[in-house]
Amino acid sequence: MHGLSHTYRTGGDSLTVLRGVELEVEPGGYVALTGPSGAGKTTLLSILGGLESPTEGAVTVGDYAVAQLRGDQLAAFRRETVGFVFQHFGLLGALTAVENVELALALSRLNSKAREQRSLELLAAVGLAERAQHLPKALSGGEKQRVAIARATANVPRLILADEPTGNLDPDAGSAVMDLLERLRTANGCTVIVVSHNPIVAGRAEVCYRLEKGLLQPT
Amino acid sequence: MRWSDTFRLVSRSIRRRAARASLTGLGVALGSGLLVALVTISNTADTNVIGRLSHGGPVAAIKVAPAVPEPDQLDSDSLESRGIHLLDDQSVAAIKHSRYVSSVVPVMTSEVLALPPKADPSFGLMIGTDLTQLGNLPITVLAGRMPSPSSLTEVAISSSYLDHLHVVPANAPAVLGMEIEFATPRREPSGQVRFRGRWFRATIVGVVAQQVSDGDFVFPIKQTQLAREWALGGEPDPDFPLLASQYTGLVVVATSLDRVHDVRAEIDQLGYATSAPEHLIATVQRYLRVVDIVLGGIGTVALVIAALSIASTLLTAVHERRREIGVLKAIGARDSDVLRWFLVEAVAIGFGGGIVGSLAGVGMAELLGLAVNDYLLKQGLGGVELSSISGTIVVGGVVGASLLALLAAAVPALMASRLSAREAVAGE
Repeated sequence: MHGLSHTYRTGGDSLTVLRGVELEVEPGGYVALTGPSGAGKTTLLSILGGLESPTEGAVTVGDYAVAQLRGDQLAAFRRETVGFVFQHFGLLGALTAVENVELALALSRLNSKAREQRSLELLAAVGLAERAQHLPKALSGGEKQRVAIARATANVPRLILADEPTGNLDPDAGSAVMDLLERLRTANGCTVIVVSHNPIVAGRAEVCYRLEKGLLQPT
Repeated sequence: MRWSDTFRLVSRSIRRRAARASLTGLGVALGSGLLVALVTISNTADTNVIGRLSHGGPVAAIKVAPAVPEPDQLDSDSLESRGIHLLDDQSVAAIKHSRYVSSVVPVMTSEVLALPPKADPSFGLMIGTDLTQLGNLPITVLAGRMPSPSSLTEVAISSSYLDHLHVVPANAPAVLGMEIEFATPRREPSGQVRFRGRWFRATIVGVVAQQVSDGDFVFPIKQTQLAREWALGGEPDPDFPLLASQYTGLVVVATSLDRVHDVRAEIDQLGYATSAPEHLIATVQRYLRVVDIVLGGIGTVALVIAALSIASTLLTAVHERRREIGVLKAIGARDSDVLRWFLVEAVAIGFGGGIVGSLAGVGMAELLGLAVNDYLLKQGLGGVELSSISGTIVVGGVVGASLLALLAAAVPALMASRLSAREAVAGE
């Protein structure tokens, strides 16, 4: 990430949330981003994951120049290279746990038998084999986040972006989720970038940065 | 995303919001049902009215008389003649040769004395025609059946003759099987006996309403040919000038209603007077078209309201599912995947509503037809078939509702597909 700036424009007003951010993460690294609300942490994560284009600067993930990607290329990047974990879990309420995991594989056009088997394996890996057929509304917050992590890792991404993954969980559930995330990172060798207000969660990372007034500083 | 995955996602989405999807589908069902009912009724009513105008026969039937036409014949639906022009096999061949003629059925009439068993003898006309071509003749069987085309012992009587037999129309089947004695006359050359009869018996096998020719007795043409041969064996009689003509009329059927005038013009050129309800049918058709437009308009308004309901539901769904759409894109869905999700969901609702609506529409038409029929029968009028189910209309209703749903979903689906993936991480 080089010289990254981002400004939101609404009508005549503008708000600059990132100012010339520089960040380099080694493959397999584990980075935490902290900072006050509105500092631009989520924006930084969105730009990294190709959900948003920066106003200025370059973002490179592996071989992808993310800021240059458009349309289906961007969709393919998100599908194959990035796994998202959201604070709100981001599960589709109409689908069961296993179907939510399958959705990520369906977008990769994996055949239905193979993806069902893989989804069940992933759910088993996060300790939810017996909850596979439950709808999200029947799951606890921690269970929902574990399903979301299973979905995020379904396509074996090189980068996992977690936005306040424990924000809606009690401390025990939060700790369990972070344990899981770290275990999968070790198993898959992927890079993990976590955004969190929680110093305990941030403290688990190898490197921690603080984002304030649009500037990124190591802590 | 594969189509099968889209269908599964749609099925889950609809199931999750079953109440809203059902209400939207119900709106579509009401719209398509109303349209199907109105089109069914209008369509069958049109056919019935035109059918009635052509007296139960083909709507494109033309009657040809053995007469010279008046110059203004083609301006009138009725026969406008001035003098005799004999009809024979050559005339039939010439008319058959016409480009827009689909069939020509010869008709022969002859004077006859009828002696029914329990009523007074009376003079009348016997009508002979080719009963193998019944479908091309303006004849409707009210009771029983038509005589066999080659029979010399069977007759169908017109409904007006029932009165002579002291039988009410509703009791028409009572006369079936009754034997009537007939005599066809010929003028004797001289002597005390002026007329001599050719006697035969025939059994009534049917009661009909017919507009083939004047007359109360419909026979296979062979019987009238025998009567004519008998009459020609006697002296010429100035009272029966038409005896000289091989046929006393023809029923010509044009290839279509639109060609009736062309065929009449060609027959007019051949020197024969004609009659056909072409102007009346054209006028009625114009009125029916107006009725069709009004009914179709009402149904279309209902469908448009249903379409707006689908659009509104989907716009709400797009708003409600902003985060889900964002998440879907965040995990790699293309814009086209999201577009397809919403379009297929709309089509599914339209299709379901269309099926329910079309079936309900047919049911409505049936019920209305029964009610109208019941009313007409209570008023002493003949019943009408107001709801003959057309597969095309039913399929059209379903397909139309689906297409309309697709159209209504276009804007919401495009909006959904263009939503930013950033919505996935947006706050509440």
